[in-house]
Amino acid sequence: MPVPANAVVKHIVTFGRVLREAGLEVGPGRVSDALKGLDAVELARQDDVYWTLRQTLVSRREDVEAFDRAFHAWFLGAAVQPPAAPKPPPSGVPRRKGAPPCPGPETDGGDTRLGTWSEDELLRTKDFAAMTPEEFARARKLIQAIAVARPQRRTRRLRPDSKGGALDVRGLVRASLATGGDPVERAFRSRKSAPRKLVLILDVSGSMEAYARALLLYLHAARGSGRGVETFAFGTRLTRLTPELGARNPETAFEAAAARVQDWSGGTRIGASLKAYNDEWGRRALTRGAVVVILSDGCERGDAELAGREMERLARQAFAVVWVNPLKGHAEYEPLAGGMRAALPYVDRFLAGHDVASLESLGSVLGGIERRHAA
Amino acid sequence: MPFASIDELESALAGASYLPDRGLSTALYLSLKLEKPLLLEGEAGVGKTEAAKAIAQALGARVIRLQCYEGLDVAHAVYEWNYARQLLHIRAAQEGTVDESELFGPEFLIRRPLLEAVEAEEPVVLLIDEVDRADEEFEAFLLEVLSDFQITIPELGTIEAKQRPYVILTSNRTRELHDALKRRCLFHWIGHPSLEREIEIVKLRVPGVPERLAAEAAAFVAELRLLDLQKPPGLAETIDWAQALTALGQQELDVGNVETTLGSVLKYHEDLLSVRDETLAGLVANARAR
Repeated sequence: MPVPANAVVKHIVTFGRVLREAGLEVGPGRVSDALKGLDAVELARQDDVYWTLRQTLVSRREDVEAFDRAFHAWFLGAAVQPPAAPKPPPSGVPRRKGAPPCPGPETDGGDTRLGTWSEDELLRTKDFAAMTPEEFARARKLIQAIAVARPQRRTRRLRPDSKGGALDVRGLVRASLATGGDPVERAFRSRKSAPRKLVLILDVSGSMEAYARALLLYLHAARGSGRGVETFAFGTRLTRLTPELGARNPETAFEAAAARVQDWSGGTRIGASLKAYNDEWGRRALTRGAVVVILSDGCERGDAELAGREMERLARQAFAVVWVNPLKGHAEYEPLAGGMRAALPYVDRFLAGHDVASLESLGSVLGGIERRHAA
Repeated sequence: MPFASIDELESALAGASYLPDRGLSTALYLSLKLEKPLLLEGEAGVGKTEAAKAIAQALGARVIRLQCYEGLDVAHAVYEWNYARQLLHIRAAQEGTVDESELFGPEFLIRRPLLEAVEAEEPVVLLIDEVDRADEEFEAFLLEVLSDFQITIPELGTIEAKQRPYVILTSNRTRELHDALKRRCLFHWIGHPSLEREIEIVKLRVPGVPERLAAEAAAFVAELRLLDLQKPPGLAETIDWAQALTALGQQELDVGNVETTLGSVLKYHEDLLSVRDETLAGLVANARAR
């Protein structure tokens, strides 16, 4: 090979570092695979080098784009386009600023001075939108502590169970040895159950500003309830937040998620966002058998008809669809917003989500949900 | 390793009626060369499973396929005891006592794909299809098998592979696979083929397809993929469709024969509804104009 081996090693090791900086997970094992691979192909053929490096250094479809950019910059000397800087997360208290014309909650700014226990009790039923910064800081702790119950599904796996319905034949054969083939002692097994998949889709557009922070914390609590939870946020476009919300520390998770969302407190396109979800994730069967929870006020700036169509698609695949609307916590609320009206026929449960207590009860509703409830 | 270069592997695959693009042939070549499993991902119908079958044919190896599904367990992936035979055996012995080790011997074992692949004497391609559908617990078990190619059966002991099976995993990405599993594998994402290659593939896979029909069908499907469909058609659909049209004795596309056969390309009712009348006529005209 015309290229001195040492130079290649150094080149690739440095390239690995470039990829790590671009956010790819490139361990020493991958770099060593890349070197072994390059040893086996023609270094003179640029496409073979490209494919060898990509197949050894990249392990996710999402990383291909970043890899391509780095490859072009590193090997072909193209200018690197810095990725657009993420919008800083909104900080401070939730405020109801610039809310769109939509049936909104009445805010009561009642100031209460009571002992800790009853303060928490009051806080549990206080609308997120009406909280002072101090109250919200305390409410955060309550939300983080919410246990999210998960509906169960039966698996095909069997475990020993004396009250089970399926015969444990392996055990039976062993027991029959002693009795000359007569199955005198019988052992039984039954199906195990496992939590159903749970998909949470949160509206973080301008009209949800007062609630988005609290609900994002709820998403984090749900994400921590075990395997098979996927989380998304949308305003005008859909962002998957599952990796970000996987961080154990709620602060870290919250910051990471907020930094990821590009369209925080912007416009709303429910239909288009649901379509993006159905196209990208529904098609990969994420929705199938899952309980899907949409947290949104249903104020659609886009095409309400599209929202209805996409809800129908979603409902057809999901085990059950739950819609959590913070505005529903108010006695005078009626689902008049276009998006909400279009979506309701496909919703199995329609619930409030404006305070800590309503989020707590959401947990127990999810635990007991069955297929095709009437909203 | 029977192939000295990527080009050699490509011509062997072409002999097996499979035309990969350069990326896929590099992936197959490297996974043979580095002796690492290959993880293939891509939309449904781009030829992931076909790739495994083709490389097996090129290698002269047998394909052992493990189709994954939710709830797949050891009894269906690795081995199971043949209880009916065991019970009959105890019965038949009647007077004489049956030894437990005799009862749990190899002749009472039902071999499932993973055990079959580990025990195989001849070269095999182990195809683990749609691994993303299996439970995460099973994935962890799979990881163990793929790292040392040995299987332990409590009653029989540990069975080691006589030779490493060549492993291909496919995934539709219904969920993210575990990092540890990915670390073991080379990764390749299969996209839709270019128009020219798709025409070549159709001609290769559909014997007797008229040249013009192959080109127009591929162009039509390529246009469909640009539309906003619930399930854009894959390569498999193009091949099915070309087969259907050829069987009907068609020489080229026209609005009539597209209308009657479009069901083999579009699998969703909504998609069929959205490609009708002027849309359909426009697509046919475009495809014919190429």
